[in-house]
Amino acid sequence: MHMFAILARLAWRNLWRNHRRTFIMLAAIVLGSWAMIFMTALMRGMVTEVIKDGISALPGHVQVHHPKYRDDPSVANLIPIPDSEMSAKFAAAGLKGWASRVRVPAVITSEYDSRGVTLLGIDPERERGLTFIDYDEIDGRFLESVDDPGIVIGRKLARTLETEIGKRIVIMSQDPDNEIADRGFRVVGLFTANVTAFEEAFVFAGKSTTQKMLRIGDRTSELFAVGDDYRNVDAVYSQVTELVDAGVEVKSWFELDAYLGTMLKVMDGFLLVWVIVIFLALSFGLVNTLVMAVFERVREIGLMLALGMKPRNILGQIIIESLMLLTIGLVIGTALAWLAVQPIKEGIDVSIVAEGMDMWGMSSVLYPELLLRDVILANVVVLVLGFFASLSPAWRAAHYEPVEAITKV
Amino acid sequence: MNSLRHTVRRFPACRTSGWSALMAGFAAIGVLTVAAQAGEPDATSIVRDAVNHWRGVSSDSVMTMVIHRPDWERSMTMRAWTKGDKKSLVRVLEPRKDRGNGTLTDDNNMWSYSPKINRVIKIPSSMMGQSWMGSDFSNNDVARADDIIDQYDHSILSVTEAEGITIYEIESVPHEEAAVVWGREVLQIREDHVVISHRFYDQDGELVKQLTSLEIGEMGGRLVALRQRMAKVEAEDEWTEIQLDSIEYDVDLKDSLFTLSNLRNPRD
Repeated sequence: MHMFAILARLAWRNLWRNHRRTFIMLAAIVLGSWAMIFMTALMRGMVTEVIKDGISALPGHVQVHHPKYRDDPSVANLIPIPDSEMSAKFAAAGLKGWASRVRVPAVITSEYDSRGVTLLGIDPERERGLTFIDYDEIDGRFLESVDDPGIVIGRKLARTLETEIGKRIVIMSQDPDNEIADRGFRVVGLFTANVTAFEEAFVFAGKSTTQKMLRIGDRTSELFAVGDDYRNVDAVYSQVTELVDAGVEVKSWFELDAYLGTMLKVMDGFLLVWVIVIFLALSFGLVNTLVMAVFERVREIGLMLALGMKPRNILGQIIIESLMLLTIGLVIGTALAWLAVQPIKEGIDVSIVAEGMDMWGMSSVLYPELLLRDVILANVVVLVLGFFASLSPAWRAAHYEPVEAITKV
Repeated sequence: MNSLRHTVRRFPACRTSGWSALMAGFAAIGVLTVAAQAGEPDATSIVRDAVNHWRGVSSDSVMTMVIHRPDWERSMTMRAWTKGDKKSLVRVLEPRKDRGNGTLTDDNNMWSYSPKINRVIKIPSSMMGQSWMGSDFSNNDVARADDIIDQYDHSILSVTEAEGITIYEIESVPHEEAAVVWGREVLQIREDHVVISHRFYDQDGELVKQLTSLEIGEMGGRLVALRQRMAKVEAEDEWTEIQLDSIEYDVDLKDSLFTLSNLRNPRD
């Protein structure tokens, strides 16, 4: 311990002997670690938004369908359990959030145009806050009950169809016998979505109204449940599995949308790669600095060896020097990254490039997400790899031949 | 095709006189009074009579459809059979390359057959709004023209007289839940049940498209529209005309005529 104190003091003093070189190296480490952490926070934020948007469009963390529904999402493949029976079970189970809905492809027609859409027959009270629809941001009003005779469509769709609140449109779909099922609806509200593609893809009507139109009685196409954390859905999954009978398919969101699920996994791997790449660039500077420090002090090291200092202490001294340099750099870099995130915590408006972001299913506000584990990852990776990088110059210094070293010119 | 025939029959030619145009502006109530005084039938029965008039119990007809666009025009000759208010079959006779193409309707459902691919296709609901055989009529126009009777509230807008014939102008407003996109439709029907024009208005009251009967005459023992034109108001140079070449009413048609197998393999 005593030896360590001496070594540490020696290392500390050596560090500031050539302070200009140390500062340059520090600047590099600070910049590098700042970039690692700050950029990670941005990327995390981006991915989280995409995933949350994706989950709210699915919607839910776990979904229940007829086994064939996902291959053929038609009205023929309804959940083979009456909705009222299922609802009673789910209501008693105390889930955080759940809802059942009718979801069928349909055609919406106005006087001037028609479009293919997905018709959602929903229970508006039950779905509040679970989907991408913000009930308070609706023009006009949102649906009020499962029997609501009106329909809510996207703002963009309304423009395409040249219709507006208060006008009637016709929804056409098919009933389970392949007969045409259609009905006129009055548009009661227009919704806005972060992802404008949703505004053209979905229309919302009351669940009972839709069931009546499609002549499917007390049946629905899907049921979804939401848990506390989208990263961990095992609890909800097993709960839902217990509630439904055999003969239905229960899937979690990362199976339902494999792209989203993969994205989350790839992100973790990608961050490690990103941190290592930045470190590699840093390591050249670090090794170079240490090698220079060793070269400058060949005679001094030789003297210490001649006086009886053990080679492993020389090794330790150089490594401590390197770790000190890295630690100072990392502390400053991490602090700067944290500071940089503060002013943009409320989200960065990237609406200038909103159209491009839209194509990726991203919303136009970016919320950086600084996770403790990402910060730790970056710091640990730099320290551990820094340790290994400094081994080589340290090893060289420890193995000088004292006589040769002292006499070296 | 039912509707086609419907349409065909439904909209007798309209030589709208300035008179009726003038009268069209009258408030419905005032007009209703006039109608009541004259002891006229109510609006719904006028429409129903008109529909029954062109529908008959059954019919067998040959018609020519001309589709006109700014840079091209084509015409097709077709034979059509109808029975009751639900069943109809249309088969293309000319031009040669389209010969054998057929459309069968049965109670709002529609199937089409093309000998080139030798397949009967049920027209899915998603395509019911699309054009029928490339014309200005939609599949819906063809398959479900009957809806006009029971899916609307009818009222008489005006009663006028031209060349000694009384013309009723009737406003039809679709029921709240009817699968109809129009805000209202206005029909001009003569007292002899011939429909002169059928105008479709959007929900702002703008005229979108209209079907007019260009020629009225007697054929098959009835007074019917011999030539009708469907045109969108926005595109003046785009229209579809249907000319009745021959028609026979109340013919004896077997139910087997209106089957998928007959659509595919004609046995007539």
